[in-house]
Amino acid sequence: MPLVAVEPGGFTIQVNKGEALAEAAWRQGYTWPTTCWGRAECMACAVVVIDGVDATIPPEPEETDAMNQRLSRYLRQPQSRLACRLKFSRDGAVVEKKGAHPPQDPTD
Amino acid sequence: MTIIDKIRTVDTSGVPFAMKDRLHVPRERYFDRGFFELEKERLWSRTWQMACRLEEIPEPNDFTEYEILDQSILVVRQQDGSIKAFFNACRHRATQLERGAGRLAGGKFVCPFHGWQWNADGTNRLVYGKTGFAPECLRPDDLKLRECRAETWGGIVWINMDPNAGPLRDALHPIAGKLDEVGIEHMRVKWWKEVILNANWKMAQEAFLEGYHVMQTHPQLTMGMGESYPADTGADYLVYENGHACFQRKDMGAGGFATVDQMLGFYNLLAQGMDAQILDRDIHVLETLRNNLKPGEDVMAASARVIREYNEATGIPMPAGAELKPLYWGGDAFVFPNVFFLPYYSNVLAYRIRPYNNDPEMCRFDVWSLTTYPESHPPVRAKLLGRFDKEDADRWGLIPRQDFSNIERQQRGLHTKGYEGHRLSTEWEGGIANMHFELDRLLSRE
Ligand code: FES
Ligand code: FES
Ligand SMILES: [Fe+2]
Repeated sequence: MPLVAVEPGGFTIQVNKGEALAEAAWRQGYTWPTTCWGRAECMACAVVVIDGVDATIPPEPEETDAMNQRLSRYLRQPQSRLACRLKFSRDGAVVEKKGAHPPQDPTD
Repeated sequence: MTIIDKIRTVDTSGVPFAMKDRLHVPRERYFDRGFFELEKERLWSRTWQMACRLEEIPEPNDFTEYEILDQSILVVRQQDGSIKAFFNACRHRATQLERGAGRLAGGKFVCPFHGWQWNADGTNRLVYGKTGFAPECLRPDDLKLRECRAETWGGIVWINMDPNAGPLRDALHPIAGKLDEVGIEHMRVKWWKEVILNANWKMAQEAFLEGYHVMQTHPQLTMGMGESYPADTGADYLVYENGHACFQRKDMGAGGFATVDQMLGFYNLLAQGMDAQILDRDIHVLETLRNNLKPGEDVMAASARVIREYNEATGIPMPAGAELKPLYWGGDAFVFPNVFFLPYYSNVLAYRIRPYNNDPEMCRFDVWSLTTYPESHPPVRAKLLGRFDKEDADRWGLIPRQDFSNIERQQRGLHTKGYEGHRLSTEWEGGIANMHFELDRLLSRE
């Protein structure tokens, strides 16, 4: 089960094979920004992969198209991904996401 | 008193173009707008009907949409594996919450218009900008998604829009019991396709309530017998209460096939002509009989023997004594109002026919090839392969193309001057009359 590190929160999250990062977060009670809940519409879940890109599974056209149409180009970076579509093949990825935090976090 | 007589004790005089006897069907029942509207109100809104297969929504938060006439219903798998169904409209300003099939990631319905949210169990989770609403618009009970009755049987989710409807199993009696005996519960989707036909939904399904059409419509299946092919196709025709019916092989012994070659010849026609009921897997297993038939052993009994041996060796579940049930041998079970199961060995060919586009002369026709997988087989989400043209020979086998082509010609023929209605065989088309009588019984409900 791939482990993914999330900055700047500094926590790790377990993601099932075949499961998207945001889905794993919601399933385990983490807070992960969204307003569309995984429909690749709101772009609120977007992350930047800052390390371990080779542990990620490349985006499908649906994800790329959604980012092309809806993710503001001022916010978009080469390693931007939608957490509601981002899947992993193994441990080692590090993503940057403000506003994501574990369940017990008092700011939740 | 026969079942038909019992049904006739209901006063159906208020039903337009009502059935008067079991020999005739007035033609207006297949195109009249008033009749169609009455069906909408008294049949479809108040009857248990198939919404989806269970394996369309195998995991929690999986959903699929069931459309019938102007209604859309979302069927959702809950966290505990149970099923709920909701009318598909946002409680704010009616937007449909989902279309088609998918997953509620994070377990939430989200309205695409102003972002109101619901949990998978239909309770409201968020009203965006709550402070802008009067308290009376925000009562929790009013904000809940409107629930529709849903129950399961036979690997299928059935819904009923009538909150006061009786239990599903009562409505499916007695046909469900017969299908249980051949292991319907174990069947899973091998493939699933649909076609749109320019015909009333009843017209389309009546082609599957009898085998009388086989000689002329599917000549290849008579193996060259022509008009000497028995009109009863060697089947018993049975009608039941609640509108159900079936036909099934009269005798399962020597009435089947004389030789293994003859059996395999026919089965290859089914496998190629339909890719259902008899599958390549069965052909491979049955091929072994060419040098494994016991002296004096009946071919059909031997086929049941090797299929059971194969099932036991590979962990394919099969009820005890299934092979002793006539339905197991290519029977045809009609579940009122609009679903068919045609079992053969550990497979089933299934149909569902429903009105389409709110048009009395259009229907949407689903076809499933179901089979029984080993118990170790991981659940695979069933997906519609697509909607294919009725003449698409790459997508439909010869047998369904033959059936589809006559259905539309019948619908056209109905409108010709001088045609008043169908005349039915008492022997082989009783299931059609039985369905119409049950329909009239339901249409005359208050
Ligand atoms: S959750 Fe909305 S785009 Fe990913
Ligand atoms: S219509 Fe659904 S939130 Fe407004
Ligand atoms: Fe047919």
